[in-house]
Amino acid sequence: MSIAMNRRAFVNGAVAVAGAAALSPLLSACGSGSSRSKGGTNSKSGLRAALPDYVPGQAVKPDIPSVHGAAGAFTDPGFLTYPAKQIPTVSGTPGKGGSYTAVTPLWGTIPPAGNSFYQAVNKALGVNLTIKPANGVSYDTIVPTMTASKKLPDWIQLPTWWNAAFNMGELAGTQLADLTPYLAGGKIKKYPNLAAIPTFAWQVGAWEDKLYGIPCGASGMSLAGHVFYRADILESKGITADQVKSADDYMSLGKELTSAQAGVWAFGDVWTYLSLSWGLPPGWTVKSGKLVHAYELPEFLEALDWHYKLAKSGYVHPDALAGNVNAGATRFYAGKELIQGGGTGAWNLSDHQSGTAANKNYRRGAFNVIAADGRSDPQIFLGAATGVVSYLNAKLSPNQIEELLAVANYLAAPYGSTEYTMITYGVEGVHHTMVNGMPSYTDEGKKYAQPTTYTFLASAPQVISNPGAEQVTKDYTSWFARTAPHVYKPVFYGMNITVPQRYATAAAAKSVVDTVIEVTHGLKKVSDFQAAVSSWKSSGGDQLKNWYQTEVLDKYGTGQ
Amino acid sequence: MAGTFTTKTKKVGAGSSGGTEPAADAEPDADGRARSRKRPGRAEEGGLTWRLRLRRDRSLILMTLPAVALLLVFNYAPLFGLITAFEYYDPLVGVLHSDWAGLDQFRALFNDPLFWGALRNTLWLSFVQLVLFFPIPIALALVLNSVTSERLRNFIQSVVYLPHFFSWVLAITIFQQMLGGAGVLNHFLAQHNLGTWDVMTDPHTFALLVTSQAVWKEAGWGIIVFLAALAAIDQNLYEAAAVDGAGRWRRMWHITLPGMRGVIVLMLVLRLGNALTVGFEQFLIQRDAVGHDTADVLDTFSFYYGITTNNYSYGAAAGLFKSVISLLLIWGANRVAHAFGEDGLYRK
Repeated sequence: MSIAMNRRAFVNGAVAVAGAAALSPLLSACGSGSSRSKGGTNSKSGLRAALPDYVPGQAVKPDIPSVHGAAGAFTDPGFLTYPAKQIPTVSGTPGKGGSYTAVTPLWGTIPPAGNSFYQAVNKALGVNLTIKPANGVSYDTIVPTMTASKKLPDWIQLPTWWNAAFNMGELAGTQLADLTPYLAGGKIKKYPNLAAIPTFAWQVGAWEDKLYGIPCGASGMSLAGHVFYRADILESKGITADQVKSADDYMSLGKELTSAQAGVWAFGDVWTYLSLSWGLPPGWTVKSGKLVHAYELPEFLEALDWHYKLAKSGYVHPDALAGNVNAGATRFYAGKELIQGGGTGAWNLSDHQSGTAANKNYRRGAFNVIAADGRSDPQIFLGAATGVVSYLNAKLSPNQIEELLAVANYLAAPYGSTEYTMITYGVEGVHHTMVNGMPSYTDEGKKYAQPTTYTFLASAPQVISNPGAEQVTKDYTSWFARTAPHVYKPVFYGMNITVPQRYATAAAAKSVVDTVIEVTHGLKKVSDFQAAVSSWKSSGGDQLKNWYQTEVLDKYGTGQ
Repeated sequence: MAGTFTTKTKKVGAGSSGGTEPAADAEPDADGRARSRKRPGRAEEGGLTWRLRLRRDRSLILMTLPAVALLLVFNYAPLFGLITAFEYYDPLVGVLHSDWAGLDQFRALFNDPLFWGALRNTLWLSFVQLVLFFPIPIALALVLNSVTSERLRNFIQSVVYLPHFFSWVLAITIFQQMLGGAGVLNHFLAQHNLGTWDVMTDPHTFALLVTSQAVWKEAGWGIIVFLAALAAIDQNLYEAAAVDGAGRWRRMWHITLPGMRGVIVLMLVLRLGNALTVGFEQFLIQRDAVGHDTADVLDTFSFYYGITTNNYSYGAAAGLFKSVISLLLIWGANRVAHAFGEDGLYRK
């Protein structure tokens, strides 16, 4: 009785509030209705009509050419030196003097506004672009305040790992500019540098069959990550990557390398990347026409069981088992932990610098992609071509959008070109000088020219270059070339599915995710995971699966 | 016995500090009813007009205004957001336009075994901390008070305060470095083939672990208020008691502890009212080490199942539930304090 009373009182209260809002033009302008509640996705035919053509750039020749792999993937080209002759790819200034604002996340020190680097780039671009890099660490908290008040800048970077937090599915329909009319099909040829971005990268910024995002630093073969090892230490013991062909081989490595008395453990956290050896999909997969979640696969149980045994074996560093993820890199550099999982971004110049600072012989290696049983064909799924996508504001006029696309074309100039050097290294003699054929930042350049400022608005497909650490470039590109034949596109690849709000909790499956971590830390048994999955299924997981089956798979297919 | 003490107290008090006491308290009263004597006086003041009182208290009111404004802006205005607990809140659509959920969020919450697990953990951890943590600052304050050398006392005080200013990340890192599987202790044990002691990742002893962390970090800070209470006790009482032949323990029992009773009860009421707030970062950081079943408390539940899954309304519902229960707890504890004749949070 009292509950019914309360409820009624609350409903009345809400009606009163809504009534007040309707009277005020200021408040009612804040939009209404929630398109998010229905969900949405890209369709195969609709997407094909919206996506731009792909015209690879030929301006700069790489030292290590790209290798073509399975599923249309190709590896990122490698550069051992900076191209000697810088070639211009854009004639004239792209802008017409318009004034714009832009916001990007920056993981680094934020340079002062209006500094000499910004001024020089603005001059080259022919626009008055006020760029405001914001702290990348808290970026996911400042964007929702801009979107909630409908005050996005003219150009904004929205990393895809925050798609759900930013509610991209709905933002794309309301606050971000539809670029389809400007870029679809052959229209993109007006912007040759943008046309050199591969088609499936554009898919990352496409929502409900319309093109919104400009992909930055796209990769032709984007993978979740690797199982890394300390190449210098393992090779000194006579162990090479190609000797490890099965899960059993990993287990025996654990025995061989662990010495708790010396404070050295073979493994850190490997689950996320090593579990792929059991052929696990990133989420959903299709078995005889029916949708199945990775959690329901027998392979998942096998992988989990193996990792539970690993956790109990004593071959895993205790701090890793205690969930101390952040210090993982330190343990790796110190040689306390010899094998650990990590994203592809961990394998680069700054890693080489940090590692060799700790131990001059330091060298990072990655094990080959394997099948756990040691017999099957190894398989690894492709990830989205990029996680870095920029968007234009829906309030811009068509002329303004065209001006900014021309600017984007300038920013997307290939590695080593005149434009690339300008937006990454600034003006020669002011922000950088050429040292051994490679641009090197001056003190002023270090202060103002953060390389991830303009490249987060638009940039050419990724290349691998680690000046001063050519070995890293060679190791990295050869690993990708070896792996290229084993990649596949997972179910719902590039479909950008917006899950209805009522399934948000089931889609996050937080309790299952937690239990998986706990099993791989040896805190819980595989049977606890099975119990968590069945309770997830009954508390929304099955409904979510049903929605994916009827609203996505049956209507739009797998997107593969 | 008690009666003689009271009379003595009053006489001594009036004799020593009468000059600084406000006029109303200057008239000592043997049966301790000075407070009720003041009441008629207040009633007369009530006869003054509203305007006159405003003019009289002008400077006091001006001084409290900024604090009131801060309270309104940061504590009361955000209460408006509680409405999201009854909605399917979508930040892009806004609070005013989000779909109405009624009590659906609460229904889902009460059917969620994870929620009840978090509540159980919260109550259990709170109970363990009440028993094992709460008495420690009191005992520390008593010990510290018995140290006569001021320099030594200041030194000890600084050392035990210090950990309060460390972040939880640092505190737990220190524990991990000391007691963790690769820490100092286990490294020593491993080198001498004595086995290992995995206290940092053992879910069964987690309550003891977090309580000892809390003691290490906060007990020193907690003694401040008790030291203040100790300082407020009239030194003449001790002298008088000593003259009467009371020993160390009798003085503590009859003077120190009664003198601290009001503050202890006040802290206990606050502690009970905060029973559902056992901490956040401490559990967030150690969650992966012992598992979500063990480490999830109501605050981390709201964070993980409300904020990180973008299910803000669900988190708001859990938070609102917590606030209502906390209000009942603090009200109940205050009632109990009044029943024992103490002031509690406010005078009756």
